[in-house]
Amino acid sequence: MPHASENTLTRLYENMVTARYYEERLQEEYLEGKQPAFDISAGPIPGELHLAAGHEAAGAGVCDHLRDDDIVTATHRPHHIAIAKGVDLKRMTAEIFGRETGLGKGKGGHMHLFDPDVNFACSGIIAEGCPPAVGGALAAQKRNTDSVAVSYLGEGAIDQGAFLESLNFASVFDLPVVFVIEDNDWAISMPKERVTDVENGAKRADGFEMPGVRVDSDDVLDVYDAAGEAIGRARDRNGPTVIEVQVHRRMGHFMGDPETYRPEADQEAAAERDSIVRLESDLREAGVEDDRIDEIRDDAHSRVDEAIEWAKDQPLPEPGAAHEDLFVSPASGVTDSEPDFEAVGGEE
Amino acid sequence: MSGAESTRELTMSRAMVSAIAHEMRENDDVFYMGEDVADYGGIFDSTQGLREEFGYDRIMDVPISETAYIGAAVGAAQAGMRPIAELMFVDFFGVAMDQIYNQMAKNTYMSGGNVSVPMVLTAAVGGTYNDAAQHSQTLYGTFAHIPGLKIVVPSTAYEAKGLMHNAIRDDDPVLYMFHKRLMGIGWMPAPDGPKTPVPETDYTIPFGRADVKRDGEDVTIVTLGLHVHRALEAAETLASDGISAEVIDLRSLVPLDTETIVESVEKTGNLVVVDEDYRSYGVTGEVTARVAEEALDALERVERVAVPDVPIPYSRPLEKEVIPGTEDIVNAATRTQ
Amino acid sequence: MTEHNERVAVQLDEWPDDVESDEGVVVNWFVSEGATITESESLCEVQIEKVSLDVYAPASGTLTEIRCGEDDEFERGETLAWVTPTPSED
Ligand SMILES: Cc1ncc(C[n+]2csc(CCOP(=O)(O)OP(=O)(O)O)c2C)c(N)n1
Repeated sequence: MPHASENTLTRLYENMVTARYYEERLQEEYLEGKQPAFDISAGPIPGELHLAAGHEAAGAGVCDHLRDDDIVTATHRPHHIAIAKGVDLKRMTAEIFGRETGLGKGKGGHMHLFDPDVNFACSGIIAEGCPPAVGGALAAQKRNTDSVAVSYLGEGAIDQGAFLESLNFASVFDLPVVFVIEDNDWAISMPKERVTDVENGAKRADGFEMPGVRVDSDDVLDVYDAAGEAIGRARDRNGPTVIEVQVHRRMGHFMGDPETYRPEADQEAAAERDSIVRLESDLREAGVEDDRIDEIRDDAHSRVDEAIEWAKDQPLPEPGAAHEDLFVSPASGVTDSEPDFEAVGGEE
Repeated sequence: MSGAESTRELTMSRAMVSAIAHEMRENDDVFYMGEDVADYGGIFDSTQGLREEFGYDRIMDVPISETAYIGAAVGAAQAGMRPIAELMFVDFFGVAMDQIYNQMAKNTYMSGGNVSVPMVLTAAVGGTYNDAAQHSQTLYGTFAHIPGLKIVVPSTAYEAKGLMHNAIRDDDPVLYMFHKRLMGIGWMPAPDGPKTPVPETDYTIPFGRADVKRDGEDVTIVTLGLHVHRALEAAETLASDGISAEVIDLRSLVPLDTETIVESVEKTGNLVVVDEDYRSYGVTGEVTARVAEEALDALERVERVAVPDVPIPYSRPLEKEVIPGTEDIVNAATRTQ
Repeated sequence: MTEHNERVAVQLDEWPDDVESDEGVVVNWFVSEGATITESESLCEVQIEKVSLDVYAPASGTLTEIRCGEDDEFERGETLAWVTPTPSED
C-alpha cells in the first residue's frame, strides 16, 4: 500500500458501489409481485436472477485494467463484471426488464447480455465463456493488436472440460487471455470441498505451464495488483494466466434461494467480510474526505436509480419481434441467385 | 387409469421421488448422481428427501462435469449397476453430448447386443417462466432422433411414478424428461392436472403405450408433457364450440405408439400435433409422417403447433409468442374443421 | 368410556427461523376434505418465502374441513384444516 493512485482508488470505489447498489435495487424489483408466495414467473423481472453482491472486487479490480477493445466473457452472474467493463447501464437494465430497447431487444435476459461496443458477453452455461474468450485472444494475436481477453468463471466451473481445454489451447498458442475464477465457496448448494479436488483453483494452471495466482481475500487492491500483472503479461504477448479471487456470496445462489443447506455461520461470515467497507477505509487513509466518499456513492446510486426508472419506462417488445434476428444475413446468404454455370468458367 | 380407491394425491415430483426411493430400497445397485441433488434435493425437487434416507454415497452431489458423471453412469451401468444421472436442465446436454449420443445410445448396438447400459438419465425440460434461450428448451426431437435411447415424458404424477419404475428396471438407457412446470414446485405453480392420485405400491407403465386422455370424434390432438394439459383445456373450449377433440398423451417418444395415433385419426380424420420443441425436424413432423405413411387416406387436415424455429426468447410477450398456448391449439383444431 | 371427539387443528409445527415473512401460502394439498388420514402423514405443502415445508396430520381420523385451500395465504399459527380423530376403542 498504496498500490494504486487516489484516482484509481476512487474509480474502483465508484465501480463497486454502483455494482452493489445495482444488485440491491434489482433484488427489490425482482421480489416485487413475488411475495408472500415466491412465483418465479411473477413480478417485473421474471426468470432466474443471479446477483453478485460480494463479488464486486473481482469485477472492478480486473476490468479497471481493460480497454473497450479488450474482450470479456462473463458468467450467469454477470452484472458487476458488465458494470466494470463499461456496459451501457440503461440498456443492460432494460434487457433485464425484458424491454425492447434492452441490449438484446428483450431476447437475451440477464444471463445473456451482449454489448459489442465494449466487447462484453456472458453465458448461462457453466465454463462455456472460456472458449470464446480464447478465441478473442486468438483474433488479437492473429491481427497483431495488443488487446487481451478475460474469461470469468466460478470455482464450481473449474471442473468443466471447456475450461481445461481452454487452458491447454491458450497455453499451446501463448494467447493473451486471463482466466479469472471467482471463488465464492459455493456452487449453488455444493460446497467447494465436496465437489472439487483443489482448495486453490489457480492450481489448475500448473498442469498447463502457465502462472496461477490466488488472491486470498477480496481486497480489491490485491485483485487490482494481481490482475495488472496478468493483463500486462498478456498485452506484452507473454501468454495466459489464471487468477482466483476469493469473493463472497451475499444474496444466495439465485433470488429466492432458501439457502437451507448453508450453515448460518458461513452466511454471517460472508456478510461481514465486505470489500467495499474495506476500500472506504483505504480511501480515508489515502486522504479522501468523507464528503467526497459520500458524494461518489450518492452519484452512483442516482445513476442506478435513473437506469432502473428509465428501463421500466421502456416499451415491451412486440410479440412478432420473436421471429426476427435469427440471422443477420438473409437466409440465402450473401447471394440471391446462382451464377451462370458457363459464365463462371464451368465446362459444358 | 389410476389406483382406484387411493384418495392420496401427489405432485409429479413426489411421485417421481417415491419410485426412485422404492427402487433404491429394493436394489443396492441403484444410485443417483447430479448437481445439487443431495442437500438441495434437486433444483426442481427431483430428489427431495432422498439424501436424508440414503446418504451421500447413494445420492451423490457431483462436480459440474457433465461429461464425467454422465459418462460415469454409462460405465457403471455397463459394470452392472443401475445409475440414475441427472442433467439439471436438458439445455446443458451440449457439454456431455458425446457420452449421450455416442456412448450411452450406441454401446449396446455396437456390441451386437452384448453390452447393456441399464441407466436412467433424468432431465428437467421446458419453458413458460422466462428463463430464456439456454434454460427453457425441451429438445425432445434432439434426443428422439438418435437411435438407442428410450425416451419418456410424464404428464402427471401417476405417469411419473409408473414410468420411473419401468425406466430403472429396464436394461437399456432411458432418458426421463420431466417438465419443470408440472412438478408441483411451490415457486413454479403447476396447472391443474399433473397432481393425481398415485397408488402406494410400485407399478410399471410400459413404454410405447400412449394414453388417450380425452375421447373425441372430430379431431385428434397428439401431444406430450406440459401441453397435454393445455390440449385438455383447449378441448374444453372446443367442446363448447361444438368440436369434439380427442387428446392423446404420447408418454414415450421412443418407442412411439403409432397405432393409437393412427386409430384415432382413422376415426376423426384430422390431426393436430402440439409440441413444445422446435417445429422443424421434430415431433410434429415425425408424428405427421407416421400417420401419412400408415393412413394417408384417413387424413383430411394436418396442423402442427410448435415453437417456431427460433431460440426461446426471454421477455414475456416474446416467450408467450413462441411457446404454444391453449388458444393456439384451439385455433389449429378449429382450422381442421 | 369413549370421550366425545374434539376436532384437532392442522397447523404448521414450526415456523422456519431463517425467513422474515409471517405469512405463507398453501401450495399443494395431497388429500381432500372427507379423506381418511393417518397420524403424521403429510397432508399439504406450504411455502414461506421460498422455503417449502410439509404439514403433517396431528391425529388419525377424517379431514373434516380445509380452511386454507391451494394458493391461499395464511399467517403464522393459523389453522389450515380440521381433523376429527377416529374414536378410540377403549
Ligand atoms: C454446464 C452447466 N451445468 C450446470 C449448470 C447449472 N448451474 C448454474 S450456476 C451453477 C453453479 C455454478 O457455480 P460456480 O461456477 O461456482 O459459480 P457461482 O454460481 O457460485 O457464482 C450450476 C451448477 C449450468 N448452468 N451449466
